[in-house]
Amino acid sequence: MSAAAQIALQNAVNGLLIGGTYATVAVGFSLVWGTLNVVNIAHGALVMLGAYVTYWLFSLYHIDPLLALPLTGAALFALGYPLQRFVINQVIRASFLITFLLTFGLDLLITNLALAAWTADIRSVTTSYSGWSLAAGPLALPVVRIAGLGIAVLAAGLLHLLMTRSRLGGAIRATASDLEAARLMGIPTAHVYALTFAIAAATAGIAGGLISLSFPIYPAMGAGYTLIAFVVCVLGGLGSVPGALAGGLILGLLQTYAAWWLGPNFDNIVAFSVLILVLLVRPAGLFGRARRFRG
Amino acid sequence: MRGQGPHRPGAAGAILAAAALAAALAVPALAGTYYVRVITGIFMFGLLASGWNLIGGYTGYPDFGAAAFIGIGAYTTGILMLHAHLAFAPALAAGGLLSIAAAAAMGSVLLRLRGHYFAIASLGFMIVLQQLAANLEITGGGSGMNLPVARNFTTFYYWTLAALTLAVAAGYVLPRSRAGYAIAAIRENQDAAQVLGIAPLPYKILAYAASAFFFGIAGGIYAYWFTFVDPPTVFNVDFTIQAIVMTLFGGPGTALGPLAGAVVLKSLDVLLTNISVFLHNVFFGALVCLLVIFAPRGLAEIVRARGGLIEAIRADLRESRI
Amino acid sequence: MALLEGRGLTKLFGRLVAVDHVDLAVEPGEIVGLIGPNGAGKTTLVNLITGLEAPTDGAVTFDGHPLRGRQPPAIARLGLARTFQIAQPFRTMTVRQNVAVPALFRGDPAPGVAAALREADAVLEIVGLGPKRDLPARALTTPDLRRLELAKALALRPRLMLLDEVMAGLTPTEVDAAMEMLRRINARGIALVVIEHVLRAVMGLSHRVVVLHHGRKIAEGAPAQVTAAPEVIRAYLGADQDAGPGSAPP
Repeated sequence: MSAAAQIALQNAVNGLLIGGTYATVAVGFSLVWGTLNVVNIAHGALVMLGAYVTYWLFSLYHIDPLLALPLTGAALFALGYPLQRFVINQVIRASFLITFLLTFGLDLLITNLALAAWTADIRSVTTSYSGWSLAAGPLALPVVRIAGLGIAVLAAGLLHLLMTRSRLGGAIRATASDLEAARLMGIPTAHVYALTFAIAAATAGIAGGLISLSFPIYPAMGAGYTLIAFVVCVLGGLGSVPGALAGGLILGLLQTYAAWWLGPNFDNIVAFSVLILVLLVRPAGLFGRARRFRG
Repeated sequence: MRGQGPHRPGAAGAILAAAALAAALAVPALAGTYYVRVITGIFMFGLLASGWNLIGGYTGYPDFGAAAFIGIGAYTTGILMLHAHLAFAPALAAGGLLSIAAAAAMGSVLLRLRGHYFAIASLGFMIVLQQLAANLEITGGGSGMNLPVARNFTTFYYWTLAALTLAVAAGYVLPRSRAGYAIAAIRENQDAAQVLGIAPLPYKILAYAASAFFFGIAGGIYAYWFTFVDPPTVFNVDFTIQAIVMTLFGGPGTALGPLAGAVVLKSLDVLLTNISVFLHNVFFGALVCLLVIFAPRGLAEIVRARGGLIEAIRADLRESRI
Repeated sequence: MALLEGRGLTKLFGRLVAVDHVDLAVEPGEIVGLIGPNGAGKTTLVNLITGLEAPTDGAVTFDGHPLRGRQPPAIARLGLARTFQIAQPFRTMTVRQNVAVPALFRGDPAPGVAAALREADAVLEIVGLGPKRDLPARALTTPDLRRLELAKALALRPRLMLLDEVMAGLTPTEVDAAMEMLRRINARGIALVVIEHVLRAVMGLSHRVVVLHHGRKIAEGAPAQVTAAPEVIRAYLGADQDAGPGSAPP
């Protein structure tokens, strides 16, 4: 294989691997947006909390980050449920702008509380296997990134099963499609909303745990991941779990190739230019339902 | 968003406005530099909020990328002053005009989207510009650029006041004008507006460009005031969010609402900063949450409700909660 | 030449044929009733004519101008107005401001804001909403909302109005009042296309009636003839020949 082809292939691999992490970041955001119609600006802050939980579990109790993922997920689940049930639910039927601003306020609150509690010092999680790579022919596959992609696919699969095969999933989809009707049918909608958000928060936490293995941890890190979640949702369609996976992979590929061709400082330019293009051409995304968006 | 149609404040209103303006003009002569700075900051956010209101409040298009124009204004002013050795006034004007041009160009594309999608795409536009600025040489790249230092601080006070007055005036004139009727119709029901003879895009672009102008001017003033400009500072979504919160709280779709929101919220922010620099953002975040939950209709409701405030809050919550 | 002339108008949604090669002609000053069971394609036909949907096939001219490819605002400015089945008021604006909007944008010559508001007042008198002019539109009752729709259409100074079920849900007294108002409007030289299920109104108002079924025109002619035609009765009721559209539930 020629050197150029090898680099191209390595980039593809890198893109897919990071795309897995992007997908995990985005799937909860997509779930909340698609079913609760809430654009959760604080989503990245939840990812950040997941990273910190993983960090503290690792540095204080020496729990391996990957093994800690269920714990991290559970912790964020426990935070997400009351957040939705007692705070966000208060304004959930108000306009899009209101809920958007509320989650913005929450983001400010969470991020700055983290800053006050843990300072802006950059932390990282380094395990024995942090630097390991599997060799597949001429290609190098970092182990932590493979774990990231694997967990992304697993999480997406489980979530998809939950949404399509379980009673809870049915309740969530019913509530998403018609709140009043769901309520009249006896579905405890406030509780269902809270569960949905809690599940999304758990996935955000898990994403944070995965991120902690490869990226720096600091309170302000969340904003970038919220933006990633946005782009992935636009690419993959709102409320679609397979869409989030596909969108994440596509974004990962796009950014990796952009960094290769244009340099590392063009990743956002590429991502958002693609986003704007997709919005103009196929606003519902790859897997989303075409809806008439009345402004 | 509410807007009960423009009303006439009459002679009393005009006198009050003139008096407020006269008082504002006198401030630098009477107050110390600290207060002049604080008030300039309040005016700056009043300018941003009033500008945002034109596209977000009156037209109903939530522009989350408005800070893109702060950056355009800041960098244009900076580049022209630093490299072309222009004086502040023409450089500032150029920043405003370039913002209008950029808004007209991007708007013809972005304003075809609605709701959430317009919000994200406009934000995307800001982020693209932020990264572009970090990659270009003429902007100083990621390290930013330094502007020439101004001699006299009060010059910023007056420039900001002038721009603010213009923005508030625009907010007053627009809904009473023919274009304002089109914009209100578009906001309420774009399809109905179309079958009544309104071609929406030109009017949306008008509002967007006007809003961009004010953000561009704010950016130019900001650049000269703080003498240093770099991409994350000026292409910063925080400016936009604060403008939105202030507009929402003060009353979108009214001429003075955004300014009122800016005055109240910015003053609170300054007070909180004095209490604790560390925690002022935490407090502000908590404040935004509380306001959004308990006073979504903003100041207007608080003022109107007075005695029945608790009941009004309860009624709002009943409508919005689940 | 007819004022409005649609030839072979067709609209496909995927494989669903919503409108099937319909010819429709309206002479100046005429009142044409457009009837047919639910789902016959009446509203879609109106959407095709007014530019909200693009026809899959066919052509339509208004006052000699071809309409295909024109945007709704341009079509409105030619003098073709329509009302919606579900009223579409500008909810936070006052009744007066609602009517001023089309007055401001109907084209050449366009009045200023003050003149448009005065015009709106005059139009509101015609439809009987004068006393309510300063109320926000969202405070109106359904019959009043219908009148507001009419007022807005009138403010365009149209030569033809397409009225989509203006009388749905009105009491018999209200229907009489509405019929009277439409006659007054027609007396000013405005042609009307009245889509209705309230057949008493269609019979009483129309010079000519057109019947659509499954997107196709199945009958056309004087009201009495059309409503007695066997194919029309069949369309409304299936095979039952004893009842006519006049006795079928709307």
